[in-house]
Amino acid sequence: MSIILLIAVPLLAAFISIIFKKIATYLLVAVGIFNLVVLFIAPMGVITIGGFTPPIGISLLFDTYSQFSLVLINALIIIIALLNCKSFNKYSGILLLAMASLNGLLLTNDLFNLFVFLEIAGIAAYLITTSNKKPLKTFHYLILGAVGSSLFLFGVVILYSMFGTLNMVDMIIKINNTNNYDQLILPFTLMFIGLGVEAKLLPFNSWVKGVLGKSNTLSGPMIASVYAAAMSFVLGRYITNLFMFEGNLLLVVTVLLSLGILIGEAMAFQSTKARKILLFSSVAQASIIALLFVNGVVIWAVYYIIAAALSKLVLFLVINKATKEVGNDNLDNLQGLFSNNILVGLTFTLATLSVMGMPLLVGFVIKLNFLTQLAAASQIWLVVIILVASVVEGIYFVRMLVKLWYKGKEQINVKYHISFKIVFVLVAAVLLVLGTYKAPLDNYDSTIDTVSQEVINNG
Amino acid sequence: MASIEYLILFLVGASFIGYFLTKLNTTVGSIFTIFATMFVFASLSMYGFNMNLETAVNILPGFSFTQTYLGFYFVIIIAFIYLMVSFFHPYYVGTYKYKDSYNMLFLLSLAGILGAFFTDNFLQLFFFFELIIWTTMFLIPQGKSKEAAISYFGFSVAGSVALLTGIFMIFSQTGTFVIADGLQGLSGSTSIVVFALFLIAAFAKLGAFPMHIWLPIAHGNAPHPFSPVLSGALVKLGAFIGILALVNIAPSTGMFTAINLPIGQYIVGILGSLSIIFGTLMAIKEDDAKKLLAYSSMSHGGYILVAFSLLDSIGFAGGFYHILAHAVASAAAFMAIAAVARATGTTKMKELGGIIHKMPITYIAYLVAIISMAGIPPMGGFISKWLIFQSVIDKGLIFIGIAVFFGSIGSFLYVFRPLATLFLGQEFTEYKKIKEQPIIMLIPTVILILMNIYTGIFPAAILKFINNIIAELGYSTLTITTFEITGHNGVLNPAVISLVFGVGVVVAFIIFILLKKSRKVDLMDTYTAANFVHDEHLLHYSTDFYAPLERLYEKQSHWMTTFYEALKQKVKDIGRLGKYLFMSRNIATAIVWMIVVVIFLLIGVIL
Repeated sequence: MSIILLIAVPLLAAFISIIFKKIATYLLVAVGIFNLVVLFIAPMGVITIGGFTPPIGISLLFDTYSQFSLVLINALIIIIALLNCKSFNKYSGILLLAMASLNGLLLTNDLFNLFVFLEIAGIAAYLITTSNKKPLKTFHYLILGAVGSSLFLFGVVILYSMFGTLNMVDMIIKINNTNNYDQLILPFTLMFIGLGVEAKLLPFNSWVKGVLGKSNTLSGPMIASVYAAAMSFVLGRYITNLFMFEGNLLLVVTVLLSLGILIGEAMAFQSTKARKILLFSSVAQASIIALLFVNGVVIWAVYYIIAAALSKLVLFLVINKATKEVGNDNLDNLQGLFSNNILVGLTFTLATLSVMGMPLLVGFVIKLNFLTQLAAASQIWLVVIILVASVVEGIYFVRMLVKLWYKGKEQINVKYHISFKIVFVLVAAVLLVLGTYKAPLDNYDSTIDTVSQEVINNG
Repeated sequence: MASIEYLILFLVGASFIGYFLTKLNTTVGSIFTIFATMFVFASLSMYGFNMNLETAVNILPGFSFTQTYLGFYFVIIIAFIYLMVSFFHPYYVGTYKYKDSYNMLFLLSLAGILGAFFTDNFLQLFFFFELIIWTTMFLIPQGKSKEAAISYFGFSVAGSVALLTGIFMIFSQTGTFVIADGLQGLSGSTSIVVFALFLIAAFAKLGAFPMHIWLPIAHGNAPHPFSPVLSGALVKLGAFIGILALVNIAPSTGMFTAINLPIGQYIVGILGSLSIIFGTLMAIKEDDAKKLLAYSSMSHGGYILVAFSLLDSIGFAGGFYHILAHAVASAAAFMAIAAVARATGTTKMKELGGIIHKMPITYIAYLVAIISMAGIPPMGGFISKWLIFQSVIDKGLIFIGIAVFFGSIGSFLYVFRPLATLFLGQEFTEYKKIKEQPIIMLIPTVILILMNIYTGIFPAAILKFINNIIAELGYSTLTITTFEITGHNGVLNPAVISLVFGVGVVVAFIIFILLKKSRKVDLMDTYTAANFVHDEHLLHYSTDFYAPLERLYEKQSHWMTTFYEALKQKVKDIGRLGKYLFMSRNIATAIVWMIVVVIFLLIGVIL
């Protein structure tokens, strides 16, 4: 079983689903499960395609890093598809396309190939956001996404003209031999911005407000949880291995990301609508994740992505479902949402506490560990920034929780289907178990990303 | 042997059992909570005083515990307050919206308390701190106001974030998270920053000036049985952090040689004095009995800070004794008010009066508590204030001295107001039918009355234990005999004072018996300004009791609230600015930012 099936099978299934619309959802679930199985039996390492040995031809890199990300993304897509199989049954083909492209993004070892997958993933994302019924916002997303991926392509073109290769490992070897970082600033900046648009980094992310602020139970979790996680993983891989920021570029990137954290939390603090609060909080999270990768805290950034994706799945599902039934997402109109939904309220609260980094939940373990690593690297200012932001974050989340638990003038009634509740409970259980029993997290360290190992092997 | 680890696990387990029992039946769940708390308190007091608790960890991965006299002193006081308060649960929890979670979070927060004071590691300290914060944060909105939880949480988290920043600064300088090693290894400017950060945490938790505004909001609006926990137990976490910083960190600031105090400690002493003064002034103004007591807690937090900033063993003894005396007194006072609120449904003094006729034991509990708070013999508060005064005077600290005496006099002004209006004032018709507390609630009330008196008459046993703590902190111990305490410039014999006091009471009582009985008339059997009084509320004189005094500072009393409101507004403004700059409807803005970043970097390369 080769890992290439992870891209080929969903892509094929996406075409089949156009013809056999009725079985599309089943096909999606079957393909997803097939992907998960392949992920555990496929051999790891560099996989060449078409018999061309690297650096010629396209190759894939399958290591623990991509395994983590792929398991997360395929599992989440299955869950989201199943939860929405009634209300959004026409989107299965698009979800298959999204699955194929995101798998490709996370596996490919080729920069141009990455651009191709970025575009396909973008197209799938634009189509998913059409379910918001806000065409103008989707159009904005499309424009910005296109600009972002063009900038990425521009950066790749410059690198290609400088080094004559598109293979990432080969490129890193050649870059290491040149020792002239100044020339690389332009391509790296362009690529960083390109990926940053998709990864929701401030200030390249103005599409987020329109898209997630009007999201539903399909587009909300898909964009905020699946796409955010996938893009953070991709960005993380490139920051850690290819960009290796230094000098001015490091300074600018650090300042941008720090501002992203602080302003993101401030924007969430200022918002009174539930979806806005969640989306601005994920803007801040995306910046924290990127900042961790910039500082080489790989493993805890990976866990952070996973925890954020899981919690945001619950948060967006709960809020978007309630919004649909209540009619709007003003916190004041959602008051008392949980008085009749104790279980949903409990899981929502646990997910929120995890995002806030409160003890007994996995968010706390992750936060404490990455802060420790930052402190050990003498990055005390970053620690301070993240902690100050977390005070603001804590306050608006508590404000939200208190509103949702205690009813206002009138009682609202939102019914959650049992399938939603199962997902919520499962996610809350994972957050709680890993928060109290962290031994499994210690099994891995930052060597799960094997690109640098490949560089040594080939260089 | 009682193991700390098992006690914590027991509480965690008990909290879940408590949840399900409360779900089935509120009373059963609450009684279970009483027994669970009692078990923990009994195990602690059985083994803890001799440092015989088992610290080994078998099950919890990554945790390590140690027992110190300092930590145990806090734990036993807090566990005692928790136990006392738990007796109130059967009568209150049933009325709350999420009653099943109330007992659960209550027990879970006690587990956090045990961990916080027994751990030897900074990260675990932070873990337990945050655990206490979020478990208690969910208890507060079950009371009167939902917003109270937000301000409590905001200040607590700000404090714990300051603590964590300090911890990481210690870590990056010394490379260790072990509390003892970390504090000792500090040097240079880092020690000043860590000192300041730890004190921010202490001030935030203690509710001391200038981080006090959450205190009246949270205490005043928390569920009635939770206010005594907040005031008697949880704010003491701040005192603990304050002690770690004030005693164990020697910030490399200069010294005031004339008073032999480092500048850092002196500043804390001054801020503590400000807490005393502002707490007293605000309490004088307050009409709500619980908020009044909250401001009194603020002022007592100031006493604790002053005591530990003196770096003197008599001062330390006073501080430690004050922690106990205030915990017992404020718990008794808050619980008395809680009992009154349960019977009448209000805590506003102008709506209450004459409760003594119906609830005499509650009245005695409150009376004893405020005597202790005002620092009058024969209650515990007198002993601690005597020790603190001794030390302040001996050091020759004039400003702090003025503040501590002002606080003592001022507390006469405010603590007697609830007594006079709420308990002694005119009895209203609407309260003619209320009854004394039920017997289960009287148990803790009576115990607290006895504790207040015991701490005032026989302090020797407690001070001997405090001597252990002082020795542990590396200071010389106090001279204590069975009946006498030796201060800097005098010897105190609390038993004799109490005896004289008791004789005075007996003499007064004899005179009362011997003198002619006064005729008992009905409340309305009077007239004033040639008019018949038709409504007993008109005889109530609690509103604007100290109006002339209040007028002196009524304009200034909102300054800090305004400051924090403005701070909140500023964060919102930044958010609004961020939305304007980066989240514009016009997508060209985002593209402009991309271009700006690229150009900025390219200029950097060219230059």
